Amino acid sequence: MVTVTIPAEVKELIAKRGIKEADVTDVVNTACQTGKYIKKGNDGLAKKVIGGLTVYVMSDLSGKGTAVVKSAYAHKMTLGKVVNVMAETDWKTKDGKAVSQGHVEMEYMTVKRNGPALIDAATGDAWVEEYLAVKTLAAAEGLFEKKRA
Amino acid sequence: MRHMAKSRIVSHDIPVGITVNGMSEVIGQTKGLCPKCLKTIPVTKVAEGDKVYLIKECPEHGTWKVLAWNGKEDYQDMYRYAAVQSKPERIAVKESGDCPQICGLCPDHVQHTCLVVMEITNGCNLKCPVCFASANQFYKFNPSLDVIRGMYQTMLDHVNHPIVVQISGGEPTIRDDLPDIIRMGKEMGIDYIEINTNGIRFAEDIEFLRRCKEAGADDLYFSFDGLQGEIYKQTCGRDILEQKLKCIENCEKVGMGITLVCVVSPNINLDRVGEVINFAKSKVPTIKGVHFQPIAYFGRVPISPKDEDRVTIPDLLRAIEEQTNGELRVDNFIPTSCSNVHCDAKSMSVVMEDGSLFPLTSRAFGPPKDTSSVATKTRKEISDLWRFIEDSLIVEEDDGKQNEWGDFVDRAKTHYLTVSMMAFQDAWTSETERFRNCCIHTVTPDGKLIPFCLFNINSMEGKTLYRHEMWAKYSENR
Repeated sequence: MVTVTIPAEVKELIAKRGIKEADVTDVVNTACQTGKYIKKGNDGLAKKVIGGLTVYVMSDLSGKGTAVVKSAYAHKMTLGKVVNVMAETDWKTKDGKAVSQGHVEMEYMTVKRNGPALIDAATGDAWVEEYLAVKTLAAAEGLFEKKRA
Repeated sequence: MRHMAKSRIVSHDIPVGITVNGMSEVIGQTKGLCPKCLKTIPVTKVAEGDKVYLIKECPEHGTWKVLAWNGKEDYQDMYRYAAVQSKPERIAVKESGDCPQICGLCPDHVQHTCLVVMEITNGCNLKCPVCFASANQFYKFNPSLDVIRGMYQTMLDHVNHPIVVQISGGEPTIRDDLPDIIRMGKEMGIDYIEINTNGIRFAEDIEFLRRCKEAGADDLYFSFDGLQGEIYKQTCGRDILEQKLKCIENCEKVGMGITLVCVVSPNINLDRVGEVINFAKSKVPTIKGVHFQPIAYFGRVPISPKDEDRVTIPDLLRAIEEQTNGELRVDNFIPTSCSNVHCDAKSMSVVMEDGSLFPLTSRAFGPPKDTSSVATKTRKEISDLWRFIEDSLIVEEDDGKQNEWGDFVDRAKTHYLTVSMMAFQDAWTSETERFRNCCIHTVTPDGKLIPFCLFNINSMEGKTLYRHEMWAKYSENR
């Protein structure tokens, strides 16, 4: 377990995005227990599927036993199979293996299309970056929700 | 249908909800205009079966029974889309209580201006029998640039930004100084300018089209009644399909957007509306929308139109659903909540790569969350549908060029098609509550804004309340 701190301005951001603080804490704690997160410098990016949402938390892990949350975001799309793996990035797994840029299948309401993601080629695990989640995927999810209703 | 009343069909003392004579159920009361004398008279809305009628009673000219809507439950359901009433920022007429006899707007008006229609000529290079502007042939209205500048100033003084203007006529392209008029508006601060045109000159003179585009014209509001020459012979007096298609081709070349405007008549082209939509799809993104106008009776109409001469909004919606094989359904169309809820209906769809429509609007969503500021939206904004879409959506970081979700969202920004309709009021279908809710206003040289339908309405003998009066004041006699 780590001590998870959420600064006031980040609390405001995640509230605006409809993400609960308890879920943010849950994501970080789960990542620390399972070791399933990726790191770039002092930044750690963890994710967990909670109630149909994939929630991501970016934290500063420079302090021992602490995680200071820098941002959190989420998407409703389900990540599927890896479509391709391209160049390595500066992100690494907890074991120090390189994480690559690539594309994965993303499905929402039975519609599948590809999108860019950070990929652990060894496990096929993928992380969607913040810019994509809060803009493109949010827009697409919004458009599809209109169709379904 | 007009009756010389010996006994009253319905009394205005009967409360809403009461059935009269076992047939008609009173569902509302309002006021409207007598088709004969244009005086303000009481109107009772009654439902007979599934049809909604306006029963108008003039003490001088008798009783009129006019078909307003086909679908009683639907008619009443539309009220939940009613906009929050908002007074115009400034009004030109201080007196109230006499709607619509003294308009400009007056204190009784309850909606801001979202579109200003500015007529710059009453001349035309066609003589279409269905055109409301053909009613007056006795004046030559070609305002000077100074008068036009004054009309732009009226907009700037009375209308909040964004200010959307439709340059209209007659046919505005018969004026060689049209590019100067457009440029003037943009330099004065008008945000969006569209040209209401039959496209004949733009078909024949691509350089003139280009000059209008370069002067700042944003869009053509382009009359397009169908894809058969026979249709134009009936609506315009001659087959001009070739010119219509050439105009669209020229717009593609110069990058001018188009909204197709189709007047729908029950015996001419109601059975062809699906073809117009399919054609429009094939020309996206040049064509951005199709706007249907169920026929309204302007000009000299000595015999009152019958039910079968009318196309109500529900009739048109059902025709669209049938003729698009359900690609667009009735429930994809919602009132804009900008004007009166029985004036219009609109849908918006993404045109997918395979040419199919992906509708984004549905009555299942209910009314927009915020109807109080709907009048400030431009035609490019659809209330809360685009809240997630920003200009920075292009994913430049993606070297793999496989961001198909990004492509979809990008496509939605450009490859969309609005299909909409507006039922203009004529003297028979006029209701003061619709005038008061109206957000489309004609600007006059004397500094007034008048609801579009009201400005153009004429009696059975061709008398108007505003149009001829304005022309008489600011025109040369022919």
